[in-house]
Parts: sequence; structure tokens; C-alpha cells
Amino acid sequence: MSNLLRAEIFKLNRNKTFWTLSLFIMVISTFMHFLIVTDWWVMTNSPFEYVGMSDFNALATFIVPLFFNVIVSTLAGFFIATEFSQHSVIKNQIVSGHKRSHIFLAKYIVFTIGSLLVTIVIPLVTAIVVSMIFGHAEFLSTANVEFLSKSYGLFTLPFLSFTLVVLIIAIVTEDSGRTIIFTLLLSAFMFVVEKLVTNSFIKSLYEYTFFYQFTVAFNPALTGKELTQSIIIGTVSFIVLIILGKFIFKRKEIK
Amino acid sequence: MSEVILRTQQLTKKYKKDIALDHVSMTVRKGEIYGLIGQNGAGKSTLIRLVTGLAFPTSGTIELFGHNEKKAYTDALKRIGAMIEHPAIYPNMSAVENLEVHRLQKGIPGKECISETLEIVGLSKTGKKKAKNFSLGMKQRLGIAIALLSDPEFLILDEPTNGLDPMGIVEIRELIKTLNREKGITVLISSHILSELSQLATKFGIIHKGKLLEQITAEQLNEKCRQYLKIKVDDPSLGATVIETSLQTTDFEVMNDGVIKLYRYLDDVRTVSKTLTDNGLTIEHLSEEGDDLETYFAKVIGGAFDE
Repeated sequence: MSNLLRAEIFKLNRNKTFWTLSLFIMVISTFMHFLIVTDWWVMTNSPFEYVGMSDFNALATFIVPLFFNVIVSTLAGFFIATEFSQHSVIKNQIVSGHKRSHIFLAKYIVFTIGSLLVTIVIPLVTAIVVSMIFGHAEFLSTANVEFLSKSYGLFTLPFLSFTLVVLIIAIVTEDSGRTIIFTLLLSAFMFVVEKLVTNSFIKSLYEYTFFYQFTVAFNPALTGKELTQSIIIGTVSFIVLIILGKFIFKRKEIK
Repeated sequence: MSEVILRTQQLTKKYKKDIALDHVSMTVRKGEIYGLIGQNGAGKSTLIRLVTGLAFPTSGTIELFGHNEKKAYTDALKRIGAMIEHPAIYPNMSAVENLEVHRLQKGIPGKECISETLEIVGLSKTGKKKAKNFSLGMKQRLGIAIALLSDPEFLILDEPTNGLDPMGIVEIRELIKTLNREKGITVLISSHILSELSQLATKFGIIHKGKLLEQITAEQLNEKCRQYLKIKVDDPSLGATVIETSLQTTDFEVMNDGVIKLYRYLDDVRTVSKTLTDNGLTIEHLSEEGDDLETYFAKVIGGAFDE
């Protein structure tokens, strides 16, 4: 397993898409935070504003599912799916004598680390750095650090399930384009359910999915019950999806 | 009998209604270069995909290094190197980086194996050139290098000379021979190009429409394809005596229909003809006969062999 992880990290490190996305997010995040911190641009109604961290308002963009879906699905398309299509390098991994479940887990872990870095760590770090240089360093208060830790912790839990779904889509479709399209379609579907569907049954069903937990994570007025519910939904989704992913990959025939 | 490296028994693979592989039972022994011959779509790649764990059999068993239980089989895969259909390489990485991925994956200590393997396949001077800019031949070599990296005991190569120029084909063939002779690596190689395998394999498996029609050693094949002079004379027994006494060879056979198969004097037909007529025999037929390899395979599969 550790050999597989090392190999996956080596590949991620040499993946052009990963570096391009990282650079893109770094530039766009720095620019947006700079505009906000220097009051050139005003964003309102962000969860960060509610807790008095308006310098971090631009972070609200990066936690919108449709936005991070594009990032994660692009990475999945060009880091995972191409292994099955372009030159079918996945064959070498299967023949290398590692268990398929280990291969799946290694891919998942490294892909998730890459996704977390691009969609969460880079925007957060740039927000902190820009705020330190140009802002009021308001994030330094204990309450703010607590809010960020709790929110990003709760955000990361469904994110682990989300990267699993994207990974499964990449493995099943074996194509970068289809990975991106299907992931976006899934997200668009969830967005429609969340915003446009009025049926109370479907609504309440949706609230038990990990997709909904992305919205819950940054709620400043989160109750203890909601917090527990979010953790349970995130954990159960993760366990179910990891079993499903391993099941699919173990039975997949490589062309 | 040497150790069995690979054994399949009644191996079958079905895709919905299509049977890609039909009850194939084959054995590859240590030290052999097993040539899997068949037309395009005969089932060669399917067989290799099943052996390497890329696909799963519908029925039948596969034993690799004596193991057929799932976990032990997966472990046994660590002892093989394979290149299946196309070289599986990362186009945006150099040759060294491609091998580094596989070195890490297989947990091979030390990086010296990379330069050694690249030296073996003749890619040591490619530097930082990306694999996507390699020629087809270079990509094939890199694919073979990946297969060789972990010093495998069993090398599986599926159509390794696809797209190579004649010189490239010769080089790959010599490389495989060297690996087999000097390192004792057992090789399973598939191809639809008969001339390529005939100069390389020590054993052949002829596969057609998913069925393994015949397994034959190179010696047996040469024997079956031996060239001879087909002689028909008015008195076959006298003809046999003349050949034995005057031509001084016993390397001939008299068939039931009176035809004499003479395995010598292939390049001196005039001497044979003169000797027979000088001894009062009437020659009814005299010609050079015998199957070449292609004709033999065509006979086995019951039709023309399509290169």
C-alpha cells in the first residue's frame, strides 16, 4: 500500500492539470481576497461576514458546490480517468501484483489530498496571507479560528464522499470529458433539488445526503443536533461509498 | 519436466453471446518462449488479459507459479512483467520518470535498476524527452522496459513488435532471446505475424476463434515442416534400395502409396534423378515438397493464415 501511495504522489506531483488548477486557484483566490480586503469589491451575505470575518468573504465562492465540482472533476478527469483511457497505464498497476482494493484506496487518498489542496487549502491559505498583509488580521481571534476549524472540518467530511463519487465516475466512464460532464450533471441535479424542488419529501430526503451537508457546514448558528447529524451523514456516506467504490473497482474489467 | 509457470484449464471467457475464449488448456514451462499464434481477434489478447488479472474468466482455472487461489495469484503477479497490446506509458513523463513510477509502485529499492533497464532496451540516452515525443519503436521499448524493471521470472508480451520497422523487430527479437538465454526468463509472446514467432519461440500455441487448436514444440514443428524430395518410381522397393546403396543415405521413408520421401539431396536433384534412371527405374514424379510454417498453420486452422 505504501508503495502505491508513493507512486500516486509521484504522479500527482508530475500532473500538469494539478499544477495548473493550483496556480489558477491561487491567482484567482489571491486576486479576489485582495479586492475584498482592500474594499474594491464588496461581497455580502457570506457565512464569514456573519461571524465578523468579512476579509474572508471571497472564500464563500470556493465552497459553492458547482464551483469546486469543476475543479475536482477536472482533476479526476486528467489524473484518474486518463489512466484508463489514454495509454491504459492502469494495466501496469493491476499486473504489479497489488490488491485491487489497495490500488483503489491509494488512488482515492492521493486524489482526495490533491482535491483538498486545490479547493480548500489554497483558498484558505491565500485568504489568511492576504488578510495578514493587507487586512485586519481579524481571523486571529479564538472564536474565528474555532469557526474556521469547525466549518472546514464539517465541510471536509462530505468532501471525502464527494471525491469518492467523482473517483467512481472517473473509473466507470474511463474518460476525462465524460467524468467532468457527469459530475457537473450530478451537481446540477443536486442544485435543482436543493433550490427548485418544493416537494417536502424530496426536500427532507435531500437533507440526509452529503450534498446538503456542504451548506450546513458553514452555518454560523449550527445547533448541536445539526452538528451531530452532519457528522453522522458524512461518516455513513463515506463508509457506504468506499465499500461501493471498492466493489466496483474489484469487478472492473480493464480493456 | 521443468517447473510449470502458467497452466490454464478449460479457460473460457464469454462476452454476452460471444465466446472470446473457449475451454483453453495450455501450459507454459520454465525456460520456454511460448509463442501464441492466431489471427487478429483469435483470442490471444483475451487470454493474456485473463492471465494478468485485467479480466475475469467465465469459467475454468488459471494457475500462475502453482497458485490459483485469488490472494496467492495476486502475489504471484509480482513475479511477472507484462506489456499488453500497447505500451502503457505516461506520455507527459520521460523514460526515467515512467520507470520511476513503476519502481515506486513495485517497491524496488535503489534507482540503479532504472538506468540498467533503459540500457538493456537501448533508451539510456533519451534524457528528459517526454514519452509522447518518442517514436513508436521507442514507446514499445519503453513498454518492454517497464515489464523488465522488476527483473521478472515470467515475461508476457502481447504483440510487442506492433508498428515496429524491420530493424526494430529484429532488435526486439534478439532482446527477448537474450533475456531468455542469459537471465532464464520464461516468455509468453503473442503475435499474428508468424515469421516473427517462428524465429523466436521454443513452443507454439495455435489459437483460432477462441480455441487452442494445438500446442507444439519448435522441434516437433520443424519435423512436421521438414522439406523432402517426393519421388514416385515404377518400383518403390528397388528405388529404396538404390537410394540406400547408391546415394548412401537412410534418411528417407517409403510411404504406403509407394511415394518415397527423401530428406537429403534437396539441393542436388539432378544426382538423384540420374542415379535412379541409371539403375533402370522410371521416374513418374520428382519434386521438392514440404510445408513451410505458414502452410502448416493454415492447415491447422483450416484456412489461409492472414498476416
